[in-house]
Amino acid sequence: MKYKVEEKSAPGRDKVEVLGATFEEGKPETGGEEGRWRQKMGSRSDKLKYLRSGERYWYGKEGFGSEQRKTPA
Amino acid sequence: MAEEKEKVKSIDPATVEMIEKAAQDGARTVFERAVTTRPCPIGAEGSCCSICAMGPCRVPLPKGREETPEEKKKRTGVCGATAETISARNFLRMIAAGAASHGDHGREVAKIFLKVARGEIKEFEIKDEQKLLQLALDLGVEIGDRTNNEIAVNVGEILAGEFGRQEGELLFLKRAPLKRQEIWRQMGVSPRGIDREVSEAMHRTHMGGDQDYQTLLLSGARTALSDGWGGSMIATELQDVLFGTPSPVYSQINLGVLREDEVNIIIHGHEPYLAEMIAVVAQDPEMIKYAQSKGAKGINLAGMCCTANEILMRHGVPIAGNFLQQELAIVTGAVEAMVVDVQCIMQGLVEVARCYHTKVITTDRRVHIEGAEHMEFDEHHATESAKKVLKAAIDNYPNRGKNVRIPDHRTDLIAGFSHETINYLLGGVFRASYRPLNENIINGRIRGVAGVVGCSNVRVTHDDVTVKMVKELIKNDVLVLQTGCAAMACAKAGLMTLEAAAEFAGEGLASVCEAVGIPPVLHLGACIDNSRILMAATAMVKDGGLGDDISDLPAAGAAPEWMSEKAITIGQYFVSSGIYTVFGATWPTLGSKEVTDFLFKEMENLYGGKWDFEPDPIKAAHLMIEHIDKKRKALGIDKARERVLYDMAMRRELT
Repeated sequence: MKYKVEEKSAPGRDKVEVLGATFEEGKPETGGEEGRWRQKMGSRSDKLKYLRSGERYWYGKEGFGSEQRKTPA
Repeated sequence: MAEEKEKVKSIDPATVEMIEKAAQDGARTVFERAVTTRPCPIGAEGSCCSICAMGPCRVPLPKGREETPEEKKKRTGVCGATAETISARNFLRMIAAGAASHGDHGREVAKIFLKVARGEIKEFEIKDEQKLLQLALDLGVEIGDRTNNEIAVNVGEILAGEFGRQEGELLFLKRAPLKRQEIWRQMGVSPRGIDREVSEAMHRTHMGGDQDYQTLLLSGARTALSDGWGGSMIATELQDVLFGTPSPVYSQINLGVLREDEVNIIIHGHEPYLAEMIAVVAQDPEMIKYAQSKGAKGINLAGMCCTANEILMRHGVPIAGNFLQQELAIVTGAVEAMVVDVQCIMQGLVEVARCYHTKVITTDRRVHIEGAEHMEFDEHHATESAKKVLKAAIDNYPNRGKNVRIPDHRTDLIAGFSHETINYLLGGVFRASYRPLNENIINGRIRGVAGVVGCSNVRVTHDDVTVKMVKELIKNDVLVLQTGCAAMACAKAGLMTLEAAAEFAGEGLASVCEAVGIPPVLHLGACIDNSRILMAATAMVKDGGLGDDISDLPAAGAAPEWMSEKAITIGQYFVSSGIYTVFGATWPTLGSKEVTDFLFKEMENLYGGKWDFEPDPIKAAHLMIEHIDKKRKALGIDKARERVLYDMAMRRELT
């Protein structure tokens, strides 16, 4: 595959060369299934595991982010 | 507000083309009615009280000058109600109506959900077990080895109970950041029950009830919260369990999705049960064969308004247009049936349909329209109901006249961004997280987040205000989350594609969108799904680094082309949840300086969020950006900091 190199800039740094997109032009022809990520989790235990990690803000056992602080801001 | 005759009616070429065709065909649409029926200036500013038979009393501000103290004293209704009381009462009644609409939607979903769970309805099923488990964890329902239906019965009963709850707090309030929950408790605005707050709001605003504008507006906050964190959230969550939580899906939008050689059916309104079933039945080979027997090549289903958003988000069904395009779809001459359920349905549809062959079919027991055909949806026989509607549309195909013109305008879009999907897209199955979003806000690639929602309003140029505002926001690196008809406006303008990031977004936002593979404007669903925006904001807070509360986030809300009471309710629950919210088009309390000042200034001291009004979309976007920058400054992320690598000695000094 022939890679395209693009010049990009980001806040606080000089321009850098990065590899460009490698996808083919056009629309996917997979019958709309490409976005269906929730179907990847098959069993109930997988789903619960995902909820406790992925949706940890509400369903994880430990506190998260700002609410983890010992002294409130 | 600009004069109707002078202003451009729409920026959407399909809309403009159909307005012209309507004029040629003699069909009177909202665009024509708006020229002849002008808004009442006294009602528009909230200065008309019609709650008793001694009035209506009109108490407008003097035009073009400050009123004198003597004039202000006299500016009362016959009962003595001041302009402040009248304005605040009107505002609270708008909130109550919006909360009632979303609440009743939520109740209907809960009712169907429970019947499905109990096995009384066989034709729907629990499609999203993960969302069901999520709710079980939220509500403390035992999971174990129980079947989905057993869990769902408990979940459904608990959530159905939220509507009639009399004391305590709504259960979903616990999803909000801890600090936010505390603010609500301190202010005394934690809703007790959904119906209770609506009912109390109506009581308070009855003649001779609450006559202090500040307590009326506190009641408004409580009532609105019972919608955002109650009725709307329940509707969204239970619909997700029944029909699936949205995930990214390709589709198309605008009147050009109609097909000349197929039976066109438009599903319009807000509640998705019948639409879900029609989407299934429309693919039934037997129905397709029946359509072919009438001379059509097939069946083409398209959505309108928020029912469209529901079936777009879950099935990718194309959208024919937003609120102001409902009559114009019929003007194409190519629509066999306009099938409506609840909310935002113009009575004018029936008159327009008389000029063509279109059947307007009402399907909900709560919405009947004189002159329309009523085919009530029976959830116990959903397939049969859907087939009946579909058959009526197919039977109408041979009646299609020769006066058919479908505008050749349709735009690609990607929808389906539930807050769960955003979380997944930012990290994948094993490290789903809002961290990348927060990091990119902290490092400045993304300046902030804006929720731009609401309707389309014939008093402003259709789609123009929303699209201009959103373009200005993304140009300034603000990631935009959208719902409702506002989302459709931006989808039509091509802002919901991956390519839009490079074309319209600032360099920082574009780089993040490109890396993650998302558009700069994310479609989160119908107007009922604004609760998804609340959940996304909460996840950002909980992930850390951006403060302790929603009001700390570099975020803002807007409804630039709002028109319905539901929009005011949504705006108020955004504000009461800590979000600075700017409305365009018109503002309903301008008749009272005190009430307007309370909403625009004092509310920030109470809730951390406040209202604002700015009809100019660019100025409004700049107000939002200014607020975002204020929050960035408060968080200390307004300028790049020197990165220092700490050695051990420096670390020891820290302790």
